[in-house]
Amino acid sequence: MSSPVREGAKQMVRLLERMPDERIKHLVSFKQTQMDRFKRVAGLPTSSGESDTGTASVKKPTVNEIKDILNRTNGPLGMKKDMLEKLQAAIPRDQFTDESLRGQVQSMENLLSNKYKNYYDVGDKLYHPAGNPGYYQRIMNELSGQKRESFFTAMRTVFFGK
Amino acid sequence: MSLLNRSYPLLRNNMANVRLSAPSRCLMNTVNRLYTKEADSAEKTVFPLAHSKYESKQYKLPKWKESLGEFVIGTFRMDMDKIRAGPIAGSYYYSICKEQGLQYENEPLSESAKFFYEQLNLPRTFSEWFQITLLHEWMLFVRMRAMPFKYGRNYQQKLVDKTFTDIELRLFEEMNVKSGSIVDRYLKDFNTQMKGAIFAYDEGFFSDDATLATAVWRNLFGGRKNIDISDLEAVVKYIRSQLYVMSRMSDREFALGKFKFVPANESVKRLSAEEEKILKEQVIKKYENLEKSGVLLPSEKSNLSYTN
Repeated sequence: MSSPVREGAKQMVRLLERMPDERIKHLVSFKQTQMDRFKRVAGLPTSSGESDTGTASVKKPTVNEIKDILNRTNGPLGMKKDMLEKLQAAIPRDQFTDESLRGQVQSMENLLSNKYKNYYDVGDKLYHPAGNPGYYQRIMNELSGQKRESFFTAMRTVFFGK
Repeated sequence: MSLLNRSYPLLRNNMANVRLSAPSRCLMNTVNRLYTKEADSAEKTVFPLAHSKYESKQYKLPKWKESLGEFVIGTFRMDMDKIRAGPIAGSYYYSICKEQGLQYENEPLSESAKFFYEQLNLPRTFSEWFQITLLHEWMLFVRMRAMPFKYGRNYQQKLVDKTFTDIELRLFEEMNVKSGSIVDRYLKDFNTQMKGAIFAYDEGFFSDDATLATAVWRNLFGGRKNIDISDLEAVVKYIRSQLYVMSRMSDREFALGKFKFVPANESVKRLSAEEEKILKEQVIKKYENLEKSGVLLPSEKSNLSYTN
């Protein structure tokens, strides 16, 4: 891995650290998966404790090893050849170049700086919609746990829609 | 056949439109084959719109029926804004949502589909099509919430109803699912996906671009690990620009179905304060003149504001 790519990946990791945390727990976290992904490229230790570069005692098989196994063996798991090819095509391949990484860093910066929210400002018309002015605020309150829905407010929504 | 005609006239209409481009599609089942035959006898290349003659473009309502309709609407002072939700949100707005990501195997992609499947590298699957449709519907929802509650809600309801009738039929006809219970299971699954996606997009829309990008990544990109961040940025920009265009429209224009999505390969330039003022004045003038002139039929009247 060339060093500009590694530098780019490090920059990306720094940017990702600035990402806001998700307000509720989802099955997969964007921040976490991408951090792991770019840390691996940057050669930093990932959360699962493995590093691509060092001679660390990584016991998990790498993607390449799995690919190799699939290639060497004739139809492991009793899978057919075309199925194997499909599987291989589905294996993620990250091919970073200096340029592509720079583009991604730029995009990440744009996202973090709220570029589009500010540029395409929709104003109170959509943020506090006339038909249901408190709609978004209620969602945010619920998410942040500031003001939870009570049984009464929930029933009101069920019957009156807002 | 007749049952289908009755229950899904609008849908049929849409699907017929889709088939226009390639009559040789092999997804046809019995119903569709019947369909083709009739089409061939009517016109060589163009499928008739729905079998309901009222859906056809050539069809003209007899004058006496038209007058009777206008008379009834006028006399009973029927609320056209409410009635219009069906043809505008249920039919027109749904059609522009669903055609964005529509694709068939062995067929060239449309311009909007190229953006999603080629530029963003999304998988060409049915559920991806649903996610794309959903994203567009959500954008419309955001605008509909800004309409007076009673009407906005009705528009949303019609759009959702139509989506699920369409998906149901597509699963049977295009995906060739034979079992009704499997289709039901899919529909429930899609319903859950819809709730989750709308919630996530709402959160992202209101908070910031990074959160919106995360919501897009989780839903549209299916939480794929090796994703190009610039793709996410492109989608966020696309969403925000569409919402911007919608926010500059008055309720009246939006409710009459004057909105269409800006193609992904074009970008939206923000209006200056002056341009915005001019645009607003033009709209107000147009609708004021229309109201004053008295040429509006009872069915064309609306109480929605054109000044906001």
